[in-house]
Amino acid sequence: MTTTDTNTDSVVLSMRGITRRFPGVTALNNVEIDVRKNEILGLLGENGAGKSVLTKIMIGIHQPDEGHITLDGQEIAPKGTIEAIKKGIGAVFQEGSLIPNLSVTENLFLCHEQGFLRHGLLSKRQMASEARRLMAIMKLSLDIDQPVSMLSPAAKQMVEIARVLWLSEKYGATNPIVILDEPTTVLNDGERETLFSILKDLKTRASIIFISHRLQEVLENCDRIVVLKDGENVTQMPAAGLQVADVEQLLVGHEFSGDRFRENEQAAPGDKVVLKIDRMSKAGAFEPLSFSVREGEIVSLIGLVGSGKEELCRCITGLEKYSSGSLTINDRSPQIGSARAAVLSGIGHVPVERREEGLALNMSVADNINHLVLDKLKKGGVINGGMEKDHARRWVAECLVKTPSINAACSGLSGGNQQKIILSKWLSSDVRLLILDHPTRGIDIGAKDEVYRLIRKFAKSGIAMIIMCDTLEEDIGLANRLLVMRDRQLVAELDAPPGRKPGPQDLIKLII
Amino acid sequence: MQNAPQESSHATGRSNRRRLKDRVQPIHLTVALIIVVGVALAIGNPNFLSMYNLDTIISFGAILLVAALGQMFAILIGGIDLSVGGTISLVSVMFVLLVHKIGVWAFPICLATGLLLGYVNGLILTRVKIPSFIATLGTGGIITSLAYLVSPRPLSAALDDYGYFQIVDGTIFGVSKTFVIGLVVFVLIWAFLRFTTTGRNIYFVGSNIKMSWMSGTDIALNRNIAFMISGGCAAIVGIMISSIRYGGDPVVGSSYVLSSVAAVVVGGTALTGGTGGVLNVLSGTLFLSLLDNGMNVVGVDQYFQQALLGFMIILGVAVTFDRTKTPIIK
Amino acid sequence: MKSAGNSADAMGSPNKTAFASLRWLRRSGVMTQLISLALIAALFAIGTEGRSLSWANIQVILSLAAIPAILATGVHLTIVIGGIDLSLQGTVALCAVFVGLLAQNKYNTNDVGLWIIPISIAIGAAAGLLTGVLHTKLRIPSFITTLGMSFVLYGLAVFINQSRIISLPDDRIQTFINAQPFGIANVVLVAIVIVVAVQLFEDRTRIGRHLYAVGGDEALAKQLGVNVDWVKIVAFTIAGCLYGLAAVLLVTRMGTATSRAGLNLLFPTITAVVVGGVSLTGGLGGAKNAILGATILAILNNGMVLMAVNPYAQQAVNGIVLIVAVALTLDRKKLGFIK
Repeated sequence: MTTTDTNTDSVVLSMRGITRRFPGVTALNNVEIDVRKNEILGLLGENGAGKSVLTKIMIGIHQPDEGHITLDGQEIAPKGTIEAIKKGIGAVFQEGSLIPNLSVTENLFLCHEQGFLRHGLLSKRQMASEARRLMAIMKLSLDIDQPVSMLSPAAKQMVEIARVLWLSEKYGATNPIVILDEPTTVLNDGERETLFSILKDLKTRASIIFISHRLQEVLENCDRIVVLKDGENVTQMPAAGLQVADVEQLLVGHEFSGDRFRENEQAAPGDKVVLKIDRMSKAGAFEPLSFSVREGEIVSLIGLVGSGKEELCRCITGLEKYSSGSLTINDRSPQIGSARAAVLSGIGHVPVERREEGLALNMSVADNINHLVLDKLKKGGVINGGMEKDHARRWVAECLVKTPSINAACSGLSGGNQQKIILSKWLSSDVRLLILDHPTRGIDIGAKDEVYRLIRKFAKSGIAMIIMCDTLEEDIGLANRLLVMRDRQLVAELDAPPGRKPGPQDLIKLII
Repeated sequence: MQNAPQESSHATGRSNRRRLKDRVQPIHLTVALIIVVGVALAIGNPNFLSMYNLDTIISFGAILLVAALGQMFAILIGGIDLSVGGTISLVSVMFVLLVHKIGVWAFPICLATGLLLGYVNGLILTRVKIPSFIATLGTGGIITSLAYLVSPRPLSAALDDYGYFQIVDGTIFGVSKTFVIGLVVFVLIWAFLRFTTTGRNIYFVGSNIKMSWMSGTDIALNRNIAFMISGGCAAIVGIMISSIRYGGDPVVGSSYVLSSVAAVVVGGTALTGGTGGVLNVLSGTLFLSLLDNGMNVVGVDQYFQQALLGFMIILGVAVTFDRTKTPIIK
Repeated sequence: MKSAGNSADAMGSPNKTAFASLRWLRRSGVMTQLISLALIAALFAIGTEGRSLSWANIQVILSLAAIPAILATGVHLTIVIGGIDLSLQGTVALCAVFVGLLAQNKYNTNDVGLWIIPISIAIGAAAGLLTGVLHTKLRIPSFITTLGMSFVLYGLAVFINQSRIISLPDDRIQTFINAQPFGIANVVLVAIVIVVAVQLFEDRTRIGRHLYAVGGDEALAKQLGVNVDWVKIVAFTIAGCLYGLAAVLLVTRMGTATSRAGLNLLFPTITAVVVGGVSLTGGLGGAKNAILGATILAILNNGMVLMAVNPYAQQAVNGIVLIVAVALTLDRKKLGFIK
C-alpha cells in the first residue's frame, strides 16, 4: 500500500490490520485506513473490492476477524448500528433507511424520542422545531409533516444525513462520521451540485466518507482518496493533482494465472441472428439502443450500476416493460412485459438471487431440473417417473452436480451446485437465448470453472447468451463481444476474440 | 450493495443438523399420534372397536377427507380457502331443490357450481389482487348468504326423491358409499398431482412463486385450477352431506372451514405452500376423525372440540411453517 | 434543492389557517371517508324520502355504530402493525360468559357490581396478551394465531357457559349507556372518548408511533431499534382490552349473557376497519378511521333496513363492500406477489 501523506495529527477514525473472512473468500485483508477531522474522504473500488464490507464493519454490522478500530484515540468495537451511531458513525445507503409512511420529523428521531416527552406524551411542537433546525442546517426547505415516501431521493438522502448528525450530537460524539454510499447515482446534475455544496458546509461539523464509482466527481470533491482492490488497501492519498487516468490504473488489473475463463474453448458464433433489439428504450432507464446477438454468441453487458444494463436485461426477459422499440427473438416478438411470453419465445433467465428467484428450495434436485420440460417427460399423456429420473440423472452427471441423491432438497446444496441445477433447468429446455445475471457470484473457484465449462459447451451447441459478470476480467474473458453502457446509453461495441481481447484498462475508460 | 458472503462446496455443520430434523417429518408425528390416540380410545372405551363405530369413523372421515383434499390445493399453492364452508352449505341446499326439479342432473350442476365458485376465487386473486385469506373470507360470507337466500331454514328431501339420495347414501359391496367416493377422489387427486404438469406446477408456484413467474409458469391458470378443485371438492362434500342426511341446511358447511384447514395442517402440509401431499392430508384427516369420534364417544362438548381444533391448528402451523421463506412474520 | 413540500408557507396570514386546516384534513387521511359518508347518507336520505335523516334515526345510527366502533378501534391496532386479529369473536364470547357468571345474575350468587367492567377488560387483555405472545415468540402468522385463538376462546366460552342464558338484573350499566344527558346516548360518548384516547396514544406516544413504524417497514424498524415484538404484543393486548369493554356493553345492553354474544361480529368489524381507510398492509389509518368506518357501515345497514332490503342480501352487500374496500386500499407494491 502506498501512502503519500503522513500527517496524522487530526485522525478521527483509525482502522488497522482489518481482516474479514467469509466462507470461501477473504473479503478484506489487512486493510488500513484513516479518517481525518473535517475532511471528505473518497472510497473507491470495483464491485467486490470490499468497500461495502469495510463500511459495514465501520457501522457495526460486521465485526472484523482481526484488526483494531480506534475512534478519537479510544479503541471501539461496535456491535450493531445503534452502538455505532452512538459513537457518531452512521451510514446513508442507496436503498434508504426511512420508514415510508412516517413523516420527516418522525423518521429523524425514530427510537430516540425520549428527549421530547412531556408528561409522557411526545411534544409535537418541540419535535417540529428541532426538525426545522436540522432542515435549516441541511439547507432544505420542505414540509416536515409529510410522509417520507413523497420526498425526492435527493431530499431523502438529506434527511438521513440530518439524522446521523442529530444522533451524533445527541450522544455527544464530538467527531461524527457520515458515510455516503453512492449518493449521486440517483441525483440529477442540479441535485448533485447542491449535495456537494452541502457536503462542503458539513465538513465543518463532521467527517464524510464518500463512496462512488464516478472518479471525476470523487477527485473534484474529496480531500483524500482510498482505493481498495481485491480486499486490500491499494493506496491512501490526497486527491489534489490526481488525474482520473492515474486512479483507473489502481482500480483494475488483477493477476490471473492460466486460461481462467477457458478462452481456448471460445468458438466463433454462427451466422443466424437469434436476438434483434431495435431502438429499444425505457423512460428513465435507458435511451434507444440497438444490437443483435447471433447463435452461440456470448455477449457481455458491461457498465456501472445505474448505466441501464440491469434494466435492459429486465426488459429483455419480460420482467419490465420497455417504452419504445422492438425485440425479436428468432423472428418472434414476444409480448412486452410478460416473463411468460419471453420464456415461451425461448428467452431464459438465470437470476442473480439464486435462492429467492432461481430455485424451489424445498423441492428436489430432480424436480427443479425437470421443471421446464415436464411435458416432454410424458408417456401416454402422463408424467413418467422413469423418464423423470433419467433426465435428472443425465443432467446431474453432465453438470457435475454434487448431491447425495436426485431426490435431495435443493436447500441443502452449496451455492455452486445450486447454480448448476439452475443452469441445467434452462439448458435442458428449448431456450435459445439465456441471460446470465452474475452467474458466478458467491461460488468458489472450483465451481466457477465448472460453470465456465458449461457456458462454453452450450455456446458451442448454438445457445446465445447475454451475461453480466462480477468482474471486468470475467466479462472480457467469457465474451465474444462486449457491449458497454454508460449513463443510460449504449456507448460502444467491442469484439473480444480469444487471444486478442481488450484489457480492463481500455474498458474502464468507457465505463466511467 | 454487494453480497459479500460466499459459500463453499462443502456442506457446513449447520446443514448436517438440519438433515436429521428433516428426516423426522411431521407426518411421522401424526402417524404416531394416530396410533397413540387409537390405542387409548380402544382401551378406554369398548365400543370404540365395534364395527358400527369404525364404520362411522370411516364414513364421516371420508367426507372430511374430500373437503381437506380440496383445501390442500389452496394451501399447496400458498393460499387458503376460507370459502369452502359457504360452498358446502350452498350446495347442500341447492342439491335438495335441484334433485326435485331436474333429477340426476342435479349432480353435475352442483359440481359445476363448486368449480365456478372456485374459479371466481381464483379470479379475484389474480385480477383484483387481494390475498386469498381476505378474498375467500369475503366470498365465503357472500356464498353463505346465498345459501340462506336459497333456503333460510333446513330443507328436507321429498320422499319421491329419496332414490337420488340413495345414490350416495348406503353401502356398496358391503363398504359405505361415502368411503368409496372418498377413496376415488383421493386416488384421482393423487394421480393429478403425480402425473400432470399442472399438478407439479402447483407445487412450484407454492414453493417459490417468484421463480415460477420468471420461469414462465402460468400462475393465474394454476391458481384458478387450484381453487376450482377446492370448490369442486367442497361441492362434492355438499352433495355427500345432503345425501346422508336426506336434506340440506345452510349452516352445515361452517365447521368444515376449520376442520379442513386443521386436517391439512396437522397432517404436515405447511401453510407456506409447496410441500406436503395427499398422504399428509390423509393422516391428518384420520387423526381428526379419530379424535372427533373419540371425543363424541366420551361425551366431550362439541364446542370444546372446536377449541381443541383451534389449538391444534396453532400448534401444527408453529411446527410446519417455513420461516426461512418469510423472515417477517405478519 | 427541489422543495418537496407545498408552498403554503408562502401564503399570507388570512388564508393560512384555512389552508392549514384543509391540509391537515387531507393529511389526516379521512377525506375520502367523510365524502363517502356524506354520499351514502345522501343516497339513503333520498331512498327513504328523508326518514333516514330524522334526529331519532340519527340517534339510532350512532348507537348502532358505537360498539362496533370500539371493536373496530381494537382490531385496527392489530392491522396497523401489519397483521390482523380474527379472534375478537372468541374474546367477546369469553368475556360475555364471565360477565354472566360474575355480575349480579339469576344463576349464581356472585355480584361484583360495577367491577365487572375492569374484570371484563382484564380478561380481554389476557386473551390479547396470549395471542400477541404466541404470534411473536412462536413466530406464527397473526391470521393463523388469531384464527386458532378464536376457536379456542369461543370453545372455552361455550364450555363454561354450557348453553345457559343468564339474565342480568343489575341494569345500572344498561341504564347508563342508554341515558342521554347530552342528547346522544352515553354509549356513543363512551365510544368517542375511547377513539380519542386511542388516537392520542397512536399520535403522541413512542409506542404509538412505533406501531406505525412496524407497519410501514418491519425489517427496517427492527434494524433502527424498534422493539418489534413488544410493540406487537402491546397492540394485541390493547385490542383485547377493547374487546372486553365491548363485551360488557353488549351483554348489559341485551340484559342476558350467553356465549352467543360473540357471533357475527368479525365480519362487520373488519369491514368497518377497511372501509374506514385502514390499510390491510399496515402503517396507515388511525382510530378515527375505525370510527368513521363503523359509522359508514351503520348508515349503510340502517338504510337497508329502512328500505326493507332482504336481510340475507344485506349480508351479501357487506361481503361485497369488504372486497371492494380491500381492493381499493391495499398497497400492492408492498405485498409483491399475491398469494
